[in-house]
Amino acid sequence: MRPVSTTVRYVRLTWQLSAVSVHRLTEYRMDFLLGAGGLLLRVVCQVAVIGMVFRQVPEIAGWHYDQVLFLLGFSLLPRGLDRMFTDQLWILARKLVQNGEFFRYLIRPVHPLFSLLSERFLYPDGFGELLTGAGLVWYAAGRLTLTADTTRLLVAPVLVLCGTLILASIKTLFASLAFWTTNSFPALYAANQLGDFSGYPLDLYHPSLRWLLTWLLPYAFTAYVPASYLLFGRARPLPWLFAVTAGLVALALAVWHRGVDRYEMTGS
Amino acid sequence: MTAATLRRYAPFAVGSLQSLLRYRSMFLINALTATTAVGVQVALWRAVYAGGGLPGGYDLPRLTTYVLLAQVLALFQSNRVDEEVAGEVQRGDIAVSLLRPVSYPLARFAAGLPVSLTNATLVAVPVVVLYALSLPLSAPSPEGVLLFGCSAVLSLVIGFGVNLLVGLAGFVTTNIWGVRVVKDSVVAFFAGQVVPLALMPGPLAAVARALPFQGMVDGPLRLLLGRYHGPLGAAAILGVQLAWAAALSGLAALAWRGAVRRVEVLGG
Repeated sequence: MRPVSTTVRYVRLTWQLSAVSVHRLTEYRMDFLLGAGGLLLRVVCQVAVIGMVFRQVPEIAGWHYDQVLFLLGFSLLPRGLDRMFTDQLWILARKLVQNGEFFRYLIRPVHPLFSLLSERFLYPDGFGELLTGAGLVWYAAGRLTLTADTTRLLVAPVLVLCGTLILASIKTLFASLAFWTTNSFPALYAANQLGDFSGYPLDLYHPSLRWLLTWLLPYAFTAYVPASYLLFGRARPLPWLFAVTAGLVALALAVWHRGVDRYEMTGS
Repeated sequence: MTAATLRRYAPFAVGSLQSLLRYRSMFLINALTATTAVGVQVALWRAVYAGGGLPGGYDLPRLTTYVLLAQVLALFQSNRVDEEVAGEVQRGDIAVSLLRPVSYPLARFAAGLPVSLTNATLVAVPVVVLYALSLPLSAPSPEGVLLFGCSAVLSLVIGFGVNLLVGLAGFVTTNIWGVRVVKDSVVAFFAGQVVPLALMPGPLAAVARALPFQGMVDGPLRLLLGRYHGPLGAAAILGVQLAWAAALSGLAALAWRGAVRRVEVLGG
């Protein structure tokens, strides 16, 4: 009975805290438009570059224009979701351990990680990525006349969720390093930056980079693997996707707990 | 500029150089961003050449050189001025700066210069060496290098003007992060940092040519790679840059005067 009631409690808390964020959002409308609009413009520029590439050749590394757009759009879905719910990890990496403010999250009657993340639930800038991603996927899928069979329609949201969990885990992992190094911002930034590779077909890259993006920092499973399944029906790596998601979540939580255990408050 | 003015503004440059030691991780971050960006772009274009394209008359070594040096120029123009100015506005420190008997924009320029130079040496050189060792590049002519040098100096002024204007947006909005995402993508795109202007479709290229940003990347690199017609063509590129540098400086000065009028600082 307890796991159920705990889950219900957290879901309810998430809902309420998200509602608080929406209120904040209406208060700072200009800021929201800038943040979400900025990310939208970034995607528009990416699409423009892809468009210019395909003005030269009909396909790159076996992918056509619409397929690359689909991949880019899909990559934005977990990215946007992750940004909406875990943005506070950036603050942890940058300063919460350094200035000792982290203790605030330890004295609340919820899991410290939840407590930390809840500070910025529904971070509005993520909407920009989520909406453009959905728009791109919709547009590209329409032009590709994808066969929307029930299996794919059911699996697609699960794949997005797994991608989100992978991104959130990578972020938690590198942000948690701050418990040892007091500031892990450069490490987190570096890990995050490599994610930029994942919006394009991995077939473009050198095998060593591809290996790194699949097994070391598994960004491949957030976009390339799910999109290849949805587009070409390549289902063979899917079991790996679930295994990697589960393993990475477990690892991130373990590192997080080790870090929290060794956290010491500042004296003041 | 007289010796007295130089003496007056030199402390800002020295102070900024000293504080750079605190931002050592910034160099690592910049290096990684540039390396990733070049990696993605080069992978895309290599696939285009593999598919038999010859975009805009650029051969692969030339286009690789372009993509790589575009990032170097971007590093050269990243002077933290936007962050510093917006930060001062947000914290209210701007009040102190107003008390100083110097021109604020000039003081900012002096403080930004060491950041640009350090970025261009400590960050850009390793990135260039890394790619020069792993990819075929095209060697520029001596006069190309000379023209590029002059042009790069002008691009520095244009970049400073743009950054100062972005920083002053801090008077209008609190989401400077959003403004900077907008700036980063739009400026980079129209500067030709991602794709040379010659590869853009007609109308887009026309827009890019009419904007000041092309003088930040595309102009200098056209001079370096010899993509102009005779001495007059080279002079035209430099002339347009010069005009934009002057116009942006004027605009920044005007914006600064307007901003000071609406400044409001709490307490003190």
